[in-house]
Amino acid sequence: MATAREKPRPLIDNLTRPFWEAAREHRLVIQRCQDCRYFNHPPRSVCNACHSAALTFEPVSGRGTIYSFSVMYQPNVAGFGDELPYLNILVELEEQPQLFLVSNLSEVQREQVRIGGQVEVYFEDVDAELTLPKFRLIA
Amino acid sequence: MSWQGKGKTTIVGIGYSELSRRPQKSLGALSLDACRAALDDAGLSAEQVDGLATFPEAPFHGAGTQDGEQIVSVEYVMNHLPLAPDIRWYAQIETGLIASAVIEGVNALLAEACEYVLVWRALHNPRGRYGAWSGNRAPGDAQFMAPYGCTSIFQWHAMAWQRYMHRYGATREHLATFVTNSRRNANLNPNAYFYTTPMTREDYFAARWIAEPLCLFDCDIPVEGCVALVLTTAERAVDLRHPPAYIAGYGQNTSRRRALFHYSLDNYMESGHSLASKLWSSSGLGPQDMSAAELYDGFSPSTLYWLEAAGFCGQGEAYRFIQDGRIALEGELPVNTFGGSLSEGRLHGMGHIAESVMQVTDRAEKRQVPNASAVCAIDGSPMLRGSGLVITREP
Ligand SMILES: [Zn+2]
Repeated sequence: MATAREKPRPLIDNLTRPFWEAAREHRLVIQRCQDCRYFNHPPRSVCNACHSAALTFEPVSGRGTIYSFSVMYQPNVAGFGDELPYLNILVELEEQPQLFLVSNLSEVQREQVRIGGQVEVYFEDVDAELTLPKFRLIA
Repeated sequence: MSWQGKGKTTIVGIGYSELSRRPQKSLGALSLDACRAALDDAGLSAEQVDGLATFPEAPFHGAGTQDGEQIVSVEYVMNHLPLAPDIRWYAQIETGLIASAVIEGVNALLAEACEYVLVWRALHNPRGRYGAWSGNRAPGDAQFMAPYGCTSIFQWHAMAWQRYMHRYGATREHLATFVTNSRRNANLNPNAYFYTTPMTREDYFAARWIAEPLCLFDCDIPVEGCVALVLTTAERAVDLRHPPAYIAGYGQNTSRRRALFHYSLDNYMESGHSLASKLWSSSGLGPQDMSAAELYDGFSPSTLYWLEAAGFCGQGEAYRFIQDGRIALEGELPVNTFGGSLSEGRLHGMGHIAESVMQVTDRAEKRQVPNASAVCAIDGSPMLRGSGLVITREP
């Protein structure tokens, strides 16, 4: 699919590099405060909960539930034109309330998606440099 | 504790430029039209204006920031209107939304920093697809969203509304009542983009999806244009062309959020309450005292969230509250009496303020709520940011 290569890619920075490097190794890691144990995502230089700067990345289970979802019909984002309409889900990871990741939900009918549905992570190797963590329904 | 500034400042002039999708004039020229119209409405000359305030933010990332073409700054208005030779005060703000610029003007007047303040909001409607993501490298928080095709604010609103429907049992049938009520009101508002275009429930359900569960008519209509207001003190307001509308109170959203990554519905009540509680405490009024409510509707569900967070009804009740004519012009709480951003045009909350002034000064013509004594105008979405005013007929 020609246009898929035009999809936006992360502009990886020092804060986010550990997340993306782990994804390359098919591991899901989330930044965690070593003082109050709060998970911060997206990564921050200061903990959102206690304002500590003692933040490192820790593995998480990759399991969560669908907090909400929408179906995108507009060709607003380059590279997604061939996939319209496509599903976006907001995944709440099981480790902490309101710890969210955005994902697509591929090869799933709209009718199969429901809030509260169980999902698990998998890793999509886009190319040699980029792997995207994505989620799929647990049967 | 009541606010000492209650009733001491006023809005005395309103000016609209033409609101259209693709104007012949530049945004700068339209803004000067609106400013001149507001001064004319007040019966003041430009030379009397010694204070300026705006909230110039572009409508979305990538919409451009060229002054006079895509935004209209304080600098631009200073350079293009024959204002007071010695301008005494100005503010160009980045937080809140446009009510926050009005609040700045109110505080400047109370502090006697200046005598007459011009506040305007200019909105650009870029060519090409509205809200299109530009660039193939997503920086900052966007790097966790754009690679999944989730870049537009309406996708977040769609997810919040999906969650709301799931949690409380609301449906699109409920939302249709609100959207068509707004259009009926716009059909009585000559400033509205959709003044001559009615909308039935069938029209609503026939509209294409933007991001399900939001359709085209759940999104405000982007326009290019400007609305301006003139503010002054209550003492100076008495001799002007129209009766003044008094600022009885104000509030800003001051909630703390741990993650700004998303629009979680979970904090909309406490977040919205952080704004509304200040509206009510500063004005000494409450939701039961409002003759009408002008509540932000960049996307239609936001107004429902505000009805709940500001205390017009209980949590999870707004979708039922808006039924049975309750929010119609003749209902017990008329809402968005001018058509809102959905049907008047996307002015980021300025239309809501202008309409509140019109209502409490008996200038709303065919959409006038009889004896409107107090109206609140709130901008923003309760889960994000925003600001609001209580505007009254008497000081
Ligand atoms: Zn912490």
